[in-house]
Amino acid sequence: MNNKKINKVLGNVIFYLGNIIVGLIFVSPLLWMLASSFKPELEIFSNLNSLSTFIPKNFTLANYAEVFQRIKVFTILKNTLIYIGIVLIGDLLLGSMFGYALAKMKYRFRGISLTIVIALMSMPVEAIILPLYIEMAQLNWVNTMLGLTIPFMMNCFSIYMFYSYFIGIPDELIEAAKVDGCGPIRTYFKIIMPISKTVFATVLILDFVSRWNDFMWPFLITTGEEKRTVQLAVQIFVGVSPIHYGVIMAVLTFASIPMILMYIFMQKFYVEGIASTGIKG
Amino acid sequence: MATLQRVNKKGKKEYSDNLAGFIMSSPAIILLVAFLIIPIIYTIYYSFFTYQVVRPDNIKFNAIGNYVKLFHDENFYVALKNTVYFTVIVVPVQCTLALVLALMVSSKKKGVAIFRTLYYSPQITSMVIIAVLWTILYNSNANTGLINAFLKSIGMQPIDFLNNPKTAMNSIIFMSAWQGAGYQMMIFIAGLNAIPTEQYEAASVDGADWFAKLIYVTIPGLINTIKYVLMITLIQAMKLFTQPYIMTKGGPRNATKTLVFYIYEQGFQKGNFGYACSIATVFFIIVVALSIIVKKISKTN
Amino acid sequence: MKKVLRTLGVLALGGMLAACGNSAGTTKQADSSSAGDGSSQAAESKSADGVTNVTIWSPTDTAAIEAWWVEKIDQWNKENPDIQVKREAIDRADSYAYENKITTATTSGNLPDILYVDGPMVSYYAANGITVPLDSYFTADDLKDFMPSTVQADTYDGKLYAIAPTESSVALFYNKDYLDKAGIEYPSDTDIKKAWTWSQFLDNAKKLTTDDYVGTNIIMDKGEGIIYALGQFFTEGGAEFVNEDGSKADGYVNSDASIKTAEYLNEFIKNGYANLDPVKDEFLNGKAATLLGGSWNIADLEKSNLNWGVSYFPVADDGKAASPTGDWAAAITRDSKNPDAAGKFLQWAMNSDNIASYASAVAKPASRTSSYEKMEGWDSGARALMKWQLQNTGVSRPRTPSYSVLSTDFSTAMLNIFAGADAKEELDNVAKNFDENYEMYYKK
Repeated sequence: MNNKKINKVLGNVIFYLGNIIVGLIFVSPLLWMLASSFKPELEIFSNLNSLSTFIPKNFTLANYAEVFQRIKVFTILKNTLIYIGIVLIGDLLLGSMFGYALAKMKYRFRGISLTIVIALMSMPVEAIILPLYIEMAQLNWVNTMLGLTIPFMMNCFSIYMFYSYFIGIPDELIEAAKVDGCGPIRTYFKIIMPISKTVFATVLILDFVSRWNDFMWPFLITTGEEKRTVQLAVQIFVGVSPIHYGVIMAVLTFASIPMILMYIFMQKFYVEGIASTGIKG
Repeated sequence: MATLQRVNKKGKKEYSDNLAGFIMSSPAIILLVAFLIIPIIYTIYYSFFTYQVVRPDNIKFNAIGNYVKLFHDENFYVALKNTVYFTVIVVPVQCTLALVLALMVSSKKKGVAIFRTLYYSPQITSMVIIAVLWTILYNSNANTGLINAFLKSIGMQPIDFLNNPKTAMNSIIFMSAWQGAGYQMMIFIAGLNAIPTEQYEAASVDGADWFAKLIYVTIPGLINTIKYVLMITLIQAMKLFTQPYIMTKGGPRNATKTLVFYIYEQGFQKGNFGYACSIATVFFIIVVALSIIVKKISKTN
Repeated sequence: MKKVLRTLGVLALGGMLAACGNSAGTTKQADSSSAGDGSSQAAESKSADGVTNVTIWSPTDTAAIEAWWVEKIDQWNKENPDIQVKREAIDRADSYAYENKITTATTSGNLPDILYVDGPMVSYYAANGITVPLDSYFTADDLKDFMPSTVQADTYDGKLYAIAPTESSVALFYNKDYLDKAGIEYPSDTDIKKAWTWSQFLDNAKKLTTDDYVGTNIIMDKGEGIIYALGQFFTEGGAEFVNEDGSKADGYVNSDASIKTAEYLNEFIKNGYANLDPVKDEFLNGKAATLLGGSWNIADLEKSNLNWGVSYFPVADDGKAASPTGDWAAAITRDSKNPDAAGKFLQWAMNSDNIASYASAVAKPASRTSSYEKMEGWDSGARALMKWQLQNTGVSRPRTPSYSVLSTDFSTAMLNIFAGADAKEELDNVAKNFDENYEMYYKK
């Protein structure tokens, strides 16, 4: 009995100590980024060889003040959110429909469609960005909201996420719906969608993060301050003098905040969502 | 009579199933065709032309000239080798790291959610931000690079992470594994939770220690999860671009020039659009072949 | 193909509308923004009421220059109701990104009327017919007032294709405290005969390197900055990048003189006297004792409390002197529907007064001699030295339509050499790629 207790305490000590140490090492780059964003420029590289580099000695908000002074933060946030919003509506709705069809509906060309989705999943946009632009120009969509958003509404990775989630849903559920006289499409919207919050949350977050970080396409397809998105604004601080590391750290921290908030609020769904797409894959 | 009716009914059912399937998939398929497949067709089409990118008025048919050049192009093989190297190393490294982390936080102890968040946090802040940050952290001088300052303080020589052809790709691999492992960790946690506890209890009765449990219970129980994780990591790894683009511009000495980066460099920087398209086409063929293999493997469950 | 695409686009939209009734609002919004916008497209440059619109693209700049643009365009638009000018600031982390944007727009006629391009790219855009000659807007008389290096850099095939308001130069900045500590005499800022020579530069960099800081900083950035800042060492070393008409690099960029120069520069990196990836503002932060810095660094240095001095761009041991030049220049594109309106605006924007205020705002040397009369602080100290270099030792970067290949490959080669590659092999490679590119696209 006593022995068991000691074992349990020992197990706890190892668990917490190990995780605290590994966890701190793991987030130290991000902690340094956060700390440096509150430091005056000359302090950032002054004491790298001691642990005190993770604590701002002369705490300042000047770096953030400069970020807000040099870019129109609210316009940029608004632009980015509109952009992400439109793309996400397409991706979540249409992508999930396709994913469901691939997983649960028996129709012609389903097998080949799935292979194509998997193949396209590893096709990076950088490889086809010029042809895509030429196409946009032929549609007269350059420098428009359409050109910015529509081409990225469909994302094979999301489709695959939906597919691998839906494939785990028991067939009996769908059969039961059919017995109740529910058509296959209505079954999806009335029965499947409401019970699949977790996968929607997961795709939402993953997609939000990747669209939030889009640089190349918004840069090429849009022109002008009215349409500037967050990552374009980040570029200004890296590329246009005066270049100050404190300010770069501040803008990087600032650009991470929405994603962190998103994660915190949706964590519960999200963890389950990732989980359920994985094990049945 | 009865038989005939059944056939009719079956035919109707097939028809309606087909229709429903088409309705559900067509919006997505139209978008995919319009904005992914058509650009790919363009890419294949232009790969047979000499096309200086700023001269759309002067495109010349070149038959398979670009491909002939490609198969004699040293840089192409370097890029292919780098892409394969990155993939072959990063996939096992990142997946092992993720599995170890998952084992560390799979218990139901208090505060475990905090640790999970810590390990997941590099994933929340995106590769673009991480790459800019790590370029600064990796600075070769101990006075200005955090990692080298640390190495110096424990008595090691500073490492020229991103400027030495021998270390540059490994530095990118290390950073990528750190950034991405949190995601795979989450999947592994779920996989671990799905293994019935009775199996562990049975193993305990047989006198198995933790290592034996890992080998005989955990790993076999995770086999499907592992397959899935390997597949998505593999696919992500093939399209490596952001890290070399931001951190090394493909250098030093081409050590981090990947296929996607090479396509970008030829098409944009050097204006050889037709040639870039031929590289993209070959890349696409590789990717399709890989997907078919991956699909075959995942079907064997 | 175009028609098929249109149909597909409409289909894609229609499909979405049909599929998701409740998202119609979003789509509508997207639609209206596409109709109301597109102001940066030259195609819509003339509106119904006879007003000509002129659009300008230039990279996002420092706050002072951004303010200059707003003020000047305001003034112009008020004085010229028939020609309305709009400028779009293009964000980019490096000049390559900006050029990618131009490249993309070129594929389908989406260029603005006026385009700012980096000096050495003038030939590339001119040779490819992307920009049009400006000779009718700037007479030979006008050009006499411009710096010789400006006119040289902006001319291709005997015609003026761009016009730059400012110039740039690179000089050697040093930290007085660190030189004192090492017992090194300050180099002169008034007599080029007392400037540091190559051997002195290398020697002093060695003496100045300590555990806390490096001897010098010679890497401005890893792109265009390599050929820009280090290229004039090659001129001083007796090498050239390409032949006279810019059609051949073999035997030039890989000549013996060129290889020797590359090896000389590598001494700094190889021995750790300079960092291969310096943090930005390394000199300003006291992490480097000297800096090959641009005229644009002066303003930041003046604001800092660093104890600094300036001297000439290092000269060859035999006394041969050269210095980097060149800056962004305005050009008119082939997509412009109203080149004359754009030309009129350029004539005004590039007059002596406007160049003086522009140059003052960015603290860069003006490209017009007469502008200096209206600018303060250019007759002594660091600024006077930059101006002197421009008038006496300035050399423009190689002028060739294959410049972008030369620049990317040359900087890759130099970085490879710094990382331990063989100089001859790397420079041979540059020559090979350049000649191949010229051969393929420009050979007559």
